[in-house]
Amino acid sequence: MNDVAIHLRGITKRFGKNTAVRDLDLEVPRGCIYGLLGPNGAGKTTTLRIILDIIGSDAGEVMVLGTNAVEEVRPRIGYLPEERGLYPKMSVIEQLVFFGELKGLKRQEARRAALAGLERLGLTERARDRVEALSKGMQQKVQFLCTILHAPELLILDEPFSGLDPLNVDLLKQFVLDRQRDGATVLFSTHLIEDAERLCERVCMIAGATKVLDGRVSDVKAATGRREVAIAFEGDGGFLDAPSLVERVSDHGRYVEVRMKDGADPQELLGRAVAGGVRLSRFELVEPSLRAIFLEKATEAGLSTRDEEAGLSRRDEEDEEAEAARQETPA
Amino acid sequence: MNPLTAKVRAIVRREYLQRVRSRWFLLSTLGIPLLFIGIGVLAGFLALDSETAFETHSLGVVDRTERLGAHVVEELLQDSILASEAHGLEGTSEEAVRERLLDSAYDLFLVLPPGILESAAEPGAGLEERPPEIRLLSRDNVGTAVQRTIRQGVNRALVRSRLLDAGVEGIDPAILLQSARLEVVNVTEEGVARSQEMFEVISFLLALVFYAALIVYGQMMIRSIVEEKTSDVVEVMVSSVRPWELMLGKIIGVGAVGITQLLIWGVVMGVAIFLGLTAGASALAEAGVDLSAAQVPWGVVGLIVTFLILGYLLYAGMFAGGGATMGSEQDAQQVAMPIIMLIIVPFVAAQPLIASPNAVWAVVMSLVPFFSPILMPSRLLVSSVPAVQVAAAVVLLVLCILGVAWVAGRIYRVGILIKGQRANLPEIIRWVRHG
Repeated sequence: MNDVAIHLRGITKRFGKNTAVRDLDLEVPRGCIYGLLGPNGAGKTTTLRIILDIIGSDAGEVMVLGTNAVEEVRPRIGYLPEERGLYPKMSVIEQLVFFGELKGLKRQEARRAALAGLERLGLTERARDRVEALSKGMQQKVQFLCTILHAPELLILDEPFSGLDPLNVDLLKQFVLDRQRDGATVLFSTHLIEDAERLCERVCMIAGATKVLDGRVSDVKAATGRREVAIAFEGDGGFLDAPSLVERVSDHGRYVEVRMKDGADPQELLGRAVAGGVRLSRFELVEPSLRAIFLEKATEAGLSTRDEEAGLSRRDEEDEEAEAARQETPA
Repeated sequence: MNPLTAKVRAIVRREYLQRVRSRWFLLSTLGIPLLFIGIGVLAGFLALDSETAFETHSLGVVDRTERLGAHVVEELLQDSILASEAHGLEGTSEEAVRERLLDSAYDLFLVLPPGILESAAEPGAGLEERPPEIRLLSRDNVGTAVQRTIRQGVNRALVRSRLLDAGVEGIDPAILLQSARLEVVNVTEEGVARSQEMFEVISFLLALVFYAALIVYGQMMIRSIVEEKTSDVVEVMVSSVRPWELMLGKIIGVGAVGITQLLIWGVVMGVAIFLGLTAGASALAEAGVDLSAAQVPWGVVGLIVTFLILGYLLYAGMFAGGGATMGSEQDAQQVAMPIIMLIIVPFVAAQPLIASPNAVWAVVMSLVPFFSPILMPSRLLVSSVPAVQVAAAVVLLVLCILGVAWVAGRIYRVGILIKGQRANLPEIIRWVRHG
């Protein structure tokens, strides 16, 4: 049990008539980076809030860092909520010391950790400034520092990359990797599958309040087993219309990802393309992307693929998505 | 377990320092006493004005009684109103007097009707049998202070004239008109005699201060909660501390700000009163204020402070619970309204209650938890409240605070995560039941 940081069994949470999370099991091993994936409204934030005991669940069991009483281990957890906020009228250093104290640090310890952190971020000179006087990017940095000031064993980040400028995205990734190197466990939620694919060892995908996929990224890909072909071309896509060869086509814009039927030879598809007079710039056997796997699993679970696809977005759509995500409040 | 954990202490310190360092604190701490001093100076100035009637008037007396006029002129001259009998108008109509007023040096004419000295209305007499009216004709508005001066002068002249008619001489009408002074001395078992009048004034001022304090610091409570929501800090907070710790920290922190402010004002006022008393002791003695009777009843002071603190806890809890259901500052003003109404009721009741502190309604109201924080201190100052009633009020108040804390805590726990829109009543009831 000691090598498990978070253990959820049969978690269910309803808000009025809506079921936000349905019978969710989750096991996050210590020391790994774990991604909680899913479209907006899938129940990611609710799940994280249940883990942190900010809200209670209607059914199920929660164990965090080896205890049922999350209360007791809160000082060992760092949480970055999706809605980030600092007290605008407080000075940077006071703010950091205050949050440090709430996490059980002594005033002097908190001050020392805060000053060290500010120095690393190059913000030493702004320590006495009010938070409202800082730029948005600097406020984000101060916010990260608040989250990791007490060197938490478990880091829970809700949509950590949304709304960040590219420099701060890298900075946060660095923080996350540093914490992991020190043995900490990181659980983060995101609707950006690419982020998860880059950072996570393990992922859990939820859609429509239900878990559709869980496990090591490499295992997930291996278990899917079948071969995917990425094809980029100019011309008539009619050659893809071959029910005996092709099981599924996902359009990624600049290229399509094609899943071959069991036992079908990609070579045959290439032949059809050449015969159809299409100009190919790419024809590559690839591992299935998490995106493709997710879409497939969501369809198997009987969920409306169209809606799920709308919720899963790439980085260039991020701003609108972040906006939409703000509507996600427990009512 | 000690509820004042290190986390609660950190929250208290943050709330307190943030507010005490704010510009609002400096301005209100300095500004409110200045405002009161300003009002005091203005009121004193106005009182002075009406006492000595800075306005002067030239008044013509049209005497149709043939003997009252001379006495009226004599009395009014004492009151520094320039009065003289205007001859040649006694027999004319009122129209003629009016015309004369408009083109004469007089700005007032006092018309004394015939028969006024003889008629004496029986008590309960009908409208017909009332004595004829004395009319004051004026070119301009006549202030109430001048009206009063004239009425009092005419009254003395009437008494003097009637005495002469009855053949009595050598009595100053002022002596006849002197009314009795009633000084109430309250003798308690401890043998402390208190000057009632002064305590009535203090009692009302206290009700005013409590009322203002509950509203001001209650509003501060709401602002503190809504600020945390609008700046999105609250989710970080509730991931680190229990909601009740956050609520308790806020209530104590804002309360400490209130105590600091009241203490500053109290000390300044104490010093001012002390200096004033030393300097003006003789003047006060002349004015009939007996300072030796004004001993400080420390037991009562202790109870008053207790009620203030309990009252603050009750209303702070209500404001906290109410504030938690609100998503924005504007909504917060709406939820504050019904709570403020509850504070206004005892304040409005305070004045009649001070006048009759042991009436049944006064006793009942001073026991009701939402009103007792303001009304019981008021009663304690002006009457000896039976210990049973004080104890009952404290017990009821404490029970009510516990109830409010329980409900507010549950609302707060769910409500603080609500942003943007506000919760409706059925929703809030659901939080309380399932929270």
